[in-house]
Amino acid sequence: MDGLFLIFLSSGLFLGWSLGANDAANIFGTAVGTKMVKFRTAAAISSIFIIIGAVFAGSGASRTLNELGEVNTLAGAFMVALSAAVSVYSMVKSGIPVSTSQAIVGAIVGWNFYAGKSTDYGILSQIVSTWIICPVLSGIIAIGLYFCIRRLIRKSHLHLLRQDSYTRIGLILAGAFGAYALGANNIANVMGVFVDSSPLKPITFSNGFTLNASQLLFLIGGISISVGVATYSHKVINTVGISLMSMTPVIAWIVVISQSVVLFLFASQGLQNFLQSNGLPAFPLVPVSSSQAVIGAAIGIGIAKGGRDIHWPLLGRIALGWITTPVISGILCFISLFFLENVFNQMVYAD
Amino acid sequence: MFHIKVSMFSQTRNLENKIDQFHDKLLEVSMNFKKAVRTFLSERRSDDYRRISKQIKNTEHEADRLRREIEAALYSQNLIPDLRADVLHLVENIDKVINKFDEVTHNFYIERPEIPEKFHAPLITLCDLSSDCAENLAIASRAFFRDLSSVRDYSQKVYLIENESDTSSAHLRSAVFDTDLPLANKLQLNLLIREVADIADIAEDCVDELLIFTIKRDI
Repeated sequence: MDGLFLIFLSSGLFLGWSLGANDAANIFGTAVGTKMVKFRTAAAISSIFIIIGAVFAGSGASRTLNELGEVNTLAGAFMVALSAAVSVYSMVKSGIPVSTSQAIVGAIVGWNFYAGKSTDYGILSQIVSTWIICPVLSGIIAIGLYFCIRRLIRKSHLHLLRQDSYTRIGLILAGAFGAYALGANNIANVMGVFVDSSPLKPITFSNGFTLNASQLLFLIGGISISVGVATYSHKVINTVGISLMSMTPVIAWIVVISQSVVLFLFASQGLQNFLQSNGLPAFPLVPVSSSQAVIGAAIGIGIAKGGRDIHWPLLGRIALGWITTPVISGILCFISLFFLENVFNQMVYAD
Repeated sequence: MFHIKVSMFSQTRNLENKIDQFHDKLLEVSMNFKKAVRTFLSERRSDDYRRISKQIKNTEHEADRLRREIEAALYSQNLIPDLRADVLHLVENIDKVINKFDEVTHNFYIERPEIPEKFHAPLITLCDLSSDCAENLAIASRAFFRDLSSVRDYSQKVYLIENESDTSSAHLRSAVFDTDLPLANKLQLNLLIREVADIADIAEDCVDELLIFTIKRDI
């Protein structure tokens, strides 16, 4: 691993850090916000499971991003990731949960424009369609779960304290599953653009266990996400956990499960193979936004409860972020590539 | 991990028991209060009355101890963070009802009021209504922890009984002032009747809050 590679990879690591700071809130935000799980516990569990998901199930969504734009030089990949990271970071600073997926897609399209490469509009429309499907699906799952859980609680006559204990365990398990799904789905955003230009070689451990080059890259990305979770996610957690809507811990659990299932559906190669082998329509492996999934779930529950608890102005601000993030990221990438190529004499794309 | 889980559930079970015992104390004090009033009216300040009055005092002390333990456990184990304040409030409200039973029983003991024979039956009725209010509060509050759908039913009973108790107390007080008893006696009886009726009023206030807590508890 040479020094230049590390310098270029730094933007991806920064993006990973931003993703961790931003998206951990979607997994454990509600649980920490309602004080059911301590931040330390949440950070430790998410870090471990994000890395596992990234290393062992991160390749599917990453392949789709490469089909959108094969960023074929390290310098180009550096700038694509940096533009996305700066866009996300600026949003995170203002406490708005934003979409890293949209930032990276915007940046890749910006790179395509700059490099004169054609953008695969089939893939782009597939990705963009998931931006709509993801929150809608998450909302539908949340509505279904809400009614099931409410019925279960009312019928079971479980003591409040016992219910509290089960909810606590449920939140930790759901958080672990959410972290795994986030790592599997969103590592593509962090390291996907580096896959084609990475000089990393596979590593075989003494016990025969092998990590291929992409997995190694995803491991590094996973660690950077974990650092983001540990160091900066608290601020966004406060937004998701407290401001979005008044959530009870049980509702928090439903929200986390709903978004985790959606992220898993769009990341699992095994599930895709299973559905295809049985002649069923499969979910495309696309990096989707966990922020959108959470908000979709929160709106779903709000609708199920009669639409009283939704904080519409905040949702409006978040929706504005969805539109502006890819646009800002794309424009930033295009302009920065120009400077990187003409001022710093770096090759930002290869013919 | 297994050990942590087991210990968490045993702590929870322990606290569940304490909350149940706390509700039992309200039922116990209410039953003893009915007995105490009947004993006072038939035997005045007899040994029997003293014994029942002491029992009520002991129950009140035990309820105080349980309340403190419940409050400490809820905070030290960081349980039900979203509803903790409501549960603490509920427990404190129920404790106020228990305290009122003790206070009224003690007042009978200290003041030794002269109660004419014709007021015995209506006073027993009033005391029974107040006790019924408290008992239904205990059931409603217990249901808050296990069976939300029943809270409303028992709360409704508290409202109805409290209404009856208000009417009954007004009639009794009016009847007291219609007698030829000395004014000091009338005032003393009036105060005691109001104190008995207060038990139902406090129970009603508890139920008002309990219904709000129930809405918050439902997902």
